[in-house]
Amino acid sequence: MGLFDAFKKKGMEIGSPLKGKCVSIKEVSDPTFSEEILGKGVAVIPEDGKVCAPADGVITTMFPTGHAVGMTVSGGAELLVHVGLDTVALKGDGFTIIAKEGQKVKKGELLMEVDLEKVKAAGYDVITPVIICNSDEYAEIKGLTDKDVNAGDTVIEIQK
Amino acid sequence: MQQFSYTIKDELGIHARPAGLLVKQASPFKSTIAVDTGTKKADAKKIMALMGAGVKQGMTVTVSAEGPDEDEAIEALKKFFEETL
Repeated sequence: MGLFDAFKKKGMEIGSPLKGKCVSIKEVSDPTFSEEILGKGVAVIPEDGKVCAPADGVITTMFPTGHAVGMTVSGGAELLVHVGLDTVALKGDGFTIIAKEGQKVKKGELLMEVDLEKVKAAGYDVITPVIICNSDEYAEIKGLTDKDVNAGDTVIEIQK
Repeated sequence: MQQFSYTIKDELGIHARPAGLLVKQASPFKSTIAVDTGTKKADAKKIMALMGAGVKQGMTVTVSAEGPDEDEAIEALKKFFEETL
């Protein structure tokens, strides 16, 4: 319990799932994300197609299309990584699923890969929202935006 | 308890956007609202649970509401499903 309490007190840190540029969620041209309908968070403009676990936790939802993945972070945050906008319509084309539903993952572990050039060529925006779906349960969700990031660099800080 | 069954027409099923919109519809009600696929039952006020239910085109789901405003809730959700999914 001691360790858990310390973690709770400290809050949670969420890393970037991808290498790229971290920007405000308001910059996403899809109101589902920019109006925070799915929760608070940030967005990453990816430069690399390797989508890594942003924190330790369990994969709760791996969409069969591979365009989005949901996980429950150790500590309780429900995190959604949605690669690109409207990319559900690609029905998996350009996406390779690596992690499975129910799998425990460590921060930095490869979850899926996306062929960014292919998705862009198909006419889709590759901006990747990183969302805390249970935002209501936390006192503060702070996005660390407007910076270049490597996968794993902290982009969201959560306080209970 | 009030409920209705609905067969999903949307070719993409309940993915991120419809899950968000559904939670937005369900959240103002006091009643407990659930979407049951037969194999998974999801709290309609929780985005992650809804996305995890894997609701696809052609699937028949049962939407239920139980609580003080269950009549209004089920009416609003029926309208939402018919118009959106």
